Amino acid sequence: MDLLLDNLDLVMFLVLVCLGYTAGSWAEKKHYRSIEAREKELLSLAVVTAEGSFPKNNVAQAVLVTGSAVVSIDYFKRLLAILRNIFGGRVKSYESLVDRARREAILRMKTAAQEQGAGMIVNLRLETAAIGRNANQKKQIGSVEAIAYGTAIRFNRV
Amino acid sequence: MKFTPKQLSGNVNVSRTHPLVELFWLLAGIVMLGGLFIFALGFTTDWAARKAPLSIEKWIGRQTLKQFPGEDNPALSQRLQALLTTASSEERLQRYPFRILVLDRDDVNALALPGGTIVIFSGLLDEITSENELMMVIGHELGHFAQRDHLRGLGRGLGIAIATTMIFGQDSGFSDLVAKAVLPIQAGYSQQQERAADRFALDLLARHYGHCGGATDFFVRHATTSGPQIAYLLASHPHPQARIDDLNRIIASKHYALLAPQPLGEDLRHRQSDPPASPTH
Repeated sequence: MDLLLDNLDLVMFLVLVCLGYTAGSWAEKKHYRSIEAREKELLSLAVVTAEGSFPKNNVAQAVLVTGSAVVSIDYFKRLLAILRNIFGGRVKSYESLVDRARREAILRMKTAAQEQGAGMIVNLRLETAAIGRNANQKKQIGSVEAIAYGTAIRFNRV
Repeated sequence: MKFTPKQLSGNVNVSRTHPLVELFWLLAGIVMLGGLFIFALGFTTDWAARKAPLSIEKWIGRQTLKQFPGEDNPALSQRLQALLTTASSEERLQRYPFRILVLDRDDVNALALPGGTIVIFSGLLDEITSENELMMVIGHELGHFAQRDHLRGLGRGLGIAIATTMIFGQDSGFSDLVAKAVLPIQAGYSQQQERAADRFALDLLARHYGHCGGATDFFVRHATTSGPQIAYLLASHPHPQARIDDLNRIIASKHYALLAPQPLGEDLRHRQSDPPASPTH
């Protein structure tokens, strides 16, 4: 018991890593399930990166729609990334974060477009931003933001 | 062209490696690198400790001495000189101008400071019952000087601290973590040094008195109050019982005689009969 108390920071670290791993992977799995379900739901709403040109009188409304999502790292992912800093190579633990943020942002943008009654989104653009620089340093929160924006087109009913 | 929406299966943007597998490989790499580093560091500091000029050691000694402002004690100096005469054949000890100081602290401890200064805490001095026991303590510190243990320990500690700071940054919790992780290795090394110093002291004691009576007395007193041996895994010193066993093994193997120890001389006993300024424990 004394041994545990003497090495309290070590114990804390292990607890945080375990917590980070279990909570982090649970949240990630849950998020992916939700992403896949909603992607299926919104599949019929087409999103293209092309500019799009439409016949005259075909377009009733064209509005800017945006969607953004912020996903945070967990303690375990941070540990993996710090270790990666030493050896180099792909930071695999962060790949899923960026992927989730990107897909979530597109989904939110599509939801916004659907609320406008849009039939299609053209000119999709994606951007990412890091929130909390030097995320590997102590007392810094590291998260990634993805922003998706495009032009939602509502067609005239023919 | 007709647009047919289709959901893609699979995900090319995320690696499939299981995070725990990745953690395993990364940790294995770190452990291997760290092991190599500690091995190389131990090798170089041992080499450097052998070669380091005395002037550097004296300089470090002056810096550390500020923390331990002890007083000269003629009675102890006389015993140190006597022991040094016995140890005159030890070439490794000849480079040092030895001094012995008494520091008024209740801790039961003695230190070998770089540059040849031995500091004995009054808490230890008050406990000692025989001349032989005192000589064992002084001999133990002389053993550290013979091996230049203080320089080796310093070099290792410094090397690991610099390396972790360089890799993980100064404020990173990981630096502390690495320091904790190498503690068992450091402790193991340090305990090895203590045992070597014990052996040195025992041989010196045998040469000085012709027997080894009283060599283990100090540790015997502390063995029962020192708690379980397992708690000493991370300590810088071995458990007293382990030190007793170690010494007894050597006494048996070298056929050293065990005679009754000499009681403590009048000049030091006088010190003990003084009422202590603060209650000792």
